[in-house]
Amino acid sequence: MPKLYTFLKYFFVVLWACFVIAPFLWAISTSFKDFNSVTGGATYIPWLQFEPTLDGWSVLFKPGSQGGINIIGPYFNSIFVTLTASLISIVLGTLAAYALSRYTFKAGIVKNNDITFFFISQRIMPPVVLSIPFFIFLSSLGLLDSLAGLILVYIVLLMPIAVWIMVDFFNRVPREIDETALIDGCNPFQAFFKVVLPNSVPGMLVAGLFCIIFGWIDFFFAFILTFTKVQLLPVKIVALNSSITPWWSLSAAALVSVAPLIIVAFIVERYLSKGNLSGALK
Amino acid sequence: MAKIILENIAHTYEPNASNPIFALKEMSLSWADGGRYALLGPSGCGKTTMLNIMSGLVNPSHGKVFFDERDVTSMITEERNIAQVFQFPVIYGTMTVFENLAFPLKCRQFPEDQIERKVKEVAEILNLQDYLNNRAKGLTADQKQLISLGRGLVREDVAAILMDEPLTVIDPDLKFRLRRKLKEINDKYKTTLIYVTHDQNEAMTFADNIIVMDQGEVVQAGSPKDLFERPQTTFVGYFIGSPAMNLYECSASSKNEISIGVNSFKVQTNINNSKSENLKLGIRSEYITVENEHSDNSLEADVIEVEDFGNYKLITASFDSFKIKAKVKRELDIPSEKVILKLPAEHCCIYEDNKLI
Repeated sequence: MPKLYTFLKYFFVVLWACFVIAPFLWAISTSFKDFNSVTGGATYIPWLQFEPTLDGWSVLFKPGSQGGINIIGPYFNSIFVTLTASLISIVLGTLAAYALSRYTFKAGIVKNNDITFFFISQRIMPPVVLSIPFFIFLSSLGLLDSLAGLILVYIVLLMPIAVWIMVDFFNRVPREIDETALIDGCNPFQAFFKVVLPNSVPGMLVAGLFCIIFGWIDFFFAFILTFTKVQLLPVKIVALNSSITPWWSLSAAALVSVAPLIIVAFIVERYLSKGNLSGALK
Repeated sequence: MAKIILENIAHTYEPNASNPIFALKEMSLSWADGGRYALLGPSGCGKTTMLNIMSGLVNPSHGKVFFDERDVTSMITEERNIAQVFQFPVIYGTMTVFENLAFPLKCRQFPEDQIERKVKEVAEILNLQDYLNNRAKGLTADQKQLISLGRGLVREDVAAILMDEPLTVIDPDLKFRLRRKLKEINDKYKTTLIYVTHDQNEAMTFADNIIVMDQGEVVQAGSPKDLFERPQTTFVGYFIGSPAMNLYECSASSKNEISIGVNSFKVQTNINNSKSENLKLGIRSEYITVENEHSDNSLEADVIEVEDFGNYKLITASFDSFKIKAKVKRELDIPSEKVILKLPAEHCCIYEDNKLI
């Protein structure tokens, strides 16, 4: 029985790994093909079944005058906007979440859970509902088509994620840790920064990962709130599309755009292992 | 270090309710400097609330807290200079053992050399000297609890160390050793130790003074001997001791005599002034003796069970419709059917409305 269990375990892990890796392999293979290789039936092995070419990749880096889209500028714009908005969201979200977890707020019938729900409710609305208010808001501030405007909007979008994850995280961090820090001589701020925060790094990393993912993949607001001066990667990639879908350069663009998320996931993953907080109170 | 005085303290967690339930009913209590106390009572009786009021984690709804002459009621926790050890060990997982022990001193900006000297001294007392550079997270539960305790010990000027069932997670053998260590620490440093527990054995073996609480009230404070021999309420009689005190409803027959069913017993309490109908006789099973023939204060009971606990025998018997338990020497031969038990008058406690007369 244990052998069968081990076999099944490995079988499903391998199956799942294939399921996850297959699209990447497909995209890698397609990114090195040309029109004929893509449209001439399924081929997999370079040099044997098709002649690899860098055409798909070179389009991404060539300027518009040479028929490319030059994603370098938008790429760094995306990195800057996503990281800045995520960082601010995590900082503000963590502070808000700690307050919601540890202190009791009451204004009429509104209590802590309602405030938390209020934060999350920002994500419940379809983006299109928010687009007009955001447009008017940024327009009135003169921040349309600017990185600052996008960062502002992304903070609004990402902070609920940070608050939601961090409230749940802080609720699991025993209050006794804060109380012990107070007893040991900290004031509430010191207790938070010296004791609670260092213990909360795993939670902040998870929240950060989610913020980066949701910030990075946003197309809708980047498309609505920017025009010519500032462009983010997803909007730029869409510009690749034409009457003949360029699968090869779209695949290359997909790989380039997913690369930062894979790197972030690899960095964060080791902190996500179970039991990061276990031992603080046991 | 300081004498801690609770003056007319009461606390409710629902201060705005029209009819609030008090977790701690109004009481006054004082804790001598350097004393070794146990706060004993069932779960939910208000022990932790009382501890949190002393440490400042809870502000009492009524009354004042004094450290010596100083009113600390409105003082925040970090200013009270109290150490508190919780039921489950609380360690700062991101720090080493050394950093954990040094933390209270660093917060109070002690000089580095003094911190190092004190941390090493406390680590030695707690046998943690080999782990000082280890991450605290990786230690065992009892080592973590030692760290919690150590954070209290590094501060020489600490007003008191409050311990909220600190040995719950510890193995029985180590529990015994840690209790002994706590006693040693109390003897050496003369630090006031207040130890919350619901385990009477822990309280009896640890403390010089035991405060028994029930339903938010202090029902008796005294030495282990007082609590055992003269429980002030039937609750204390029932709660302290194993087996619990034998308690029987009774009626007064004369000034120094009561009746339980058809049996009469002489007592040393004057029950003439008793106005209540609710009288009870209480006697510890340890004081009941087995006799060969009838005498004053004896009764004949049917033996239900005799349990041999190795160092004593516990007889469970019945008379009229009552059950009685007697702890006797294990060498004694106990008849299998009828046994004559004597309830010595000097050990009979009489309770009126559950309070000792």
